[in-house]
Amino acid sequence: MKKLSLIKEVVGSDYVSDADFMLQSYGKGISGGLIEKRPDVVVRPKSSEEIAEILKIANAEMIPVIPRGGGAGLLEGVFPLKSGGIVIDTTRMDKILDFNENNMTVTVQCGITWAQLNNFLNTRGYYTGTMGPGSGMSAVVGGGLSHHSVGGGGAAKYGAVTRHCIGLKVVLANGDIITTGSGASKYIKEPFSRWGIGPDLTSIFLGDQGIMGIKTEATLFVYPKPKFRSYRTFIVRRKAPQIISNIFLNYRKLGDVGIYDAFWLPELSVSAGLGLMVSEFTVFKLWKEVNPKGKDILFYTCEAESEEALAQNVKKLNEIALENKGVEMLGPEINEGNIAKWHYEENGHWQIYHGFWGAAGRGSVPQTAEHHIPIHQIPQMMDTLLKWETENQELLMKAGPAIHGLGSALLCDHTTVEMDSGLVCWNKPEFREINEKLWKSNLEMIIKSGGMPYMAGMRFSRAFIDTNAFSDQFYNFMKAVKHALDPNGIISPGKYYLGGT
Amino acid sequence: MTESERFKHIKKLKDMIISCSGIGDCRIGFRPAVGRFGVCPAYEHSPGFEPYHARGKLRVLFGILDGTLELSKELAKVWFQCTTCGSCHAICHQSYNDNINWFICNYIDHTKVWEAFRADLVEAGLAIPRHTELVQSIQDDHNPYFEKHEERIKWLAGRKFPAQAETVYYVGCTEPYRLPDYAQKMIKILDVSGTNYTVIHPEEWCCGSIAIRTGHLQTATELAEHNVAAIQKAGAKQVVIHCAGCYRTFKVDYPEILGKELPFQVYHATEYFLDLVNQGKLKFVKPINKKITYHDPCHIGRAAKIYEPPRELLKKIPGIEFIEMKRNRENAWCCGAGGGVKSAFPEMAVEIAQDRILEAEELGVKTIVTACPFCVTNLRDGAKSLGKSEFEVIDILDLITMTIE
Repeated sequence: MKKLSLIKEVVGSDYVSDADFMLQSYGKGISGGLIEKRPDVVVRPKSSEEIAEILKIANAEMIPVIPRGGGAGLLEGVFPLKSGGIVIDTTRMDKILDFNENNMTVTVQCGITWAQLNNFLNTRGYYTGTMGPGSGMSAVVGGGLSHHSVGGGGAAKYGAVTRHCIGLKVVLANGDIITTGSGASKYIKEPFSRWGIGPDLTSIFLGDQGIMGIKTEATLFVYPKPKFRSYRTFIVRRKAPQIISNIFLNYRKLGDVGIYDAFWLPELSVSAGLGLMVSEFTVFKLWKEVNPKGKDILFYTCEAESEEALAQNVKKLNEIALENKGVEMLGPEINEGNIAKWHYEENGHWQIYHGFWGAAGRGSVPQTAEHHIPIHQIPQMMDTLLKWETENQELLMKAGPAIHGLGSALLCDHTTVEMDSGLVCWNKPEFREINEKLWKSNLEMIIKSGGMPYMAGMRFSRAFIDTNAFSDQFYNFMKAVKHALDPNGIISPGKYYLGGT
Repeated sequence: MTESERFKHIKKLKDMIISCSGIGDCRIGFRPAVGRFGVCPAYEHSPGFEPYHARGKLRVLFGILDGTLELSKELAKVWFQCTTCGSCHAICHQSYNDNINWFICNYIDHTKVWEAFRADLVEAGLAIPRHTELVQSIQDDHNPYFEKHEERIKWLAGRKFPAQAETVYYVGCTEPYRLPDYAQKMIKILDVSGTNYTVIHPEEWCCGSIAIRTGHLQTATELAEHNVAAIQKAGAKQVVIHCAGCYRTFKVDYPEILGKELPFQVYHATEYFLDLVNQGKLKFVKPINKKITYHDPCHIGRAAKIYEPPRELLKKIPGIEFIEMKRNRENAWCCGAGGGVKSAFPEMAVEIAQDRILEAEELGVKTIVTACPFCVTNLRDGAKSLGKSEFEVIDILDLITMTIE
């Protein structure tokens, strides 16, 4: 195959393959219940320059190219819309290029994982603030920036990871390599700002679901890791959607109180956890003792530079939670049920939720619909989710049954909350058609109810168009921007129905 | 081979294979707070495409089971480049987890799946030629080293053992043929402790670990049946084994292969000696002034959860300054030798060993202690390939024999 031999010349024969079994392994995302779509070629380049050469080959021959990071995307952003094309696996590009303590920035290749990067920074007293997505152990910086990720920790304090990006190196579809942000000026040797050179062109590539170019390097702000942390966990015994909404909003109205993360684990997750637990030592065991009915859980983590400041803030946060009838605070230690402490002191946040995906049994997999809404809309969205579930009860039962609901929710940028809703379906061929139907309907319901995806991938991006969510004028503008950067529509074709259908 | 026989080993594990969510922490997961820094040595020392690590492997098996993927030599080569260290199992969200021990945590036994597909590959004629040679040697002479069976007791220098005893010291192949010093140290310690034991030559054959790891299950079954019968014949209530590979095979694999519990207890030397020390039958008296670290062998560590006995023994030796490596216990980095990688892909094995040497060096330690002859050999090769002649890789038996003198 001509393209294979051309790419071999660029990256060397070890780092490109068209073997069936290699392609098979790149033909799925996390939603394992649906059919895989194999690319024609998979390549693992080591530099921006190699990616540029690959894109020149692809652009000349109009070959679809799908950039891929850790492959942990939940909405089918990491494999082709149709079989064929070139998957560019960026995980070989995982170097830390520069740590600038004076500017408090770090420049990395985009294939490094959030966990690797934070491991490096933590030993120097810093962190990235937001620690990437919930799959941050394996998710890479490039993927996080493409998805406005949250979930790995720090979203309540720092917002989505994209807030902290001050410049990118991007390879465009024609093979041009550009640097955005202050690094665009040849006189600036140490990037320090995203703004000031004109329009914020970095943002075109942030949250873009990987369609505008291939991010190869990123410069991020880093932050000194505060010395003191406190963790608290509460049981919410009644009217959880309304009470959680009130508490989250009142936390925001306090201003800056160092709240790093705040999570809501709804009854569905807590009771599933209790039911699934089999051994003597788990965080859930303690809930079984203090919360045997599996009622909703709220927990937060708060940071400060001094013990006094921390104590003051914790007092305010606890008062706000406890002023609600039916809210009860657990003890401060992990063995008293304080899941918040386990989350952050033992990296529990990177291991708990994915286990739920197997909750229905062997072979059950997620088909997520996680999205953002304003905090005050939580009760309304919960009603909407329940209504959809009732209307689709028959289909859900036919799918195995599939499980639908809210797994968790967390406080994000300003007055936004991430709602981790979606389906757990069966990874079995006989359910594929029905899984497709359920997922499409579920995503469209979220869009129509005012939910805003962040990680959109193929699924949510097309749901915007399928539901006619954009005005013609806006969609034309989006198409024009895409066309200007990628006239042949070779990069990630199909997302938002752009560059291929 | 009939259609129903194709892939018969992985077909039995289909439920495990479809349980992979595809999160991908099995590639390079880091959880610094609990000492996890990286996962897959094969991923890190190969071109690194998905099938080199667990998620990609499981997706390949989806294709095999769906009938959309055919076997190839290239696929077999990638499959056999896994050291079967089990690190992917230790980090998987759908498997073992200290804090969330639900039933869903036992969905996938990764190493079992890797080995099952190896058996399918072998039955499809896609064994690695070097592995086939080793297994042929086992079939011919009951050892994988192309040595005569009669030579198996050369290290005993004519010493005779009773036909029956309460304890059998199962020696294995590696130590008699390649590291006889360790076999001699074992009997020295057993003698000092006053253990009533025997060595069952000529009845002792290779345990079959290599056959299991490389997909030759029929050979392994024959060896298991033979060795268990031979130990029963010796009237033993317990077997003590130093070779980590043999221990894992007896303790973990034999009951599964034979479909029943063994009629005797199986102890690793470190468990057994710790018990003797605690009973006062073995005394550590002579100080050894060394700064050391301990490398967890995958065979006794992740495969059998023996993490503390070797550490407790080391800490009981007067003069020893013990420092943990950054990656230890279930998070330990493999030495690189396992799963037939050392015999079929020796350069890859040594590269992985270099990682471990450099990790120990970061601690300012010049002595790595382990409890496995394969780890000893491969880590020594790793140190040598780095030109670190000052580095010492020893077995815990070296220290125990020094301290009891």
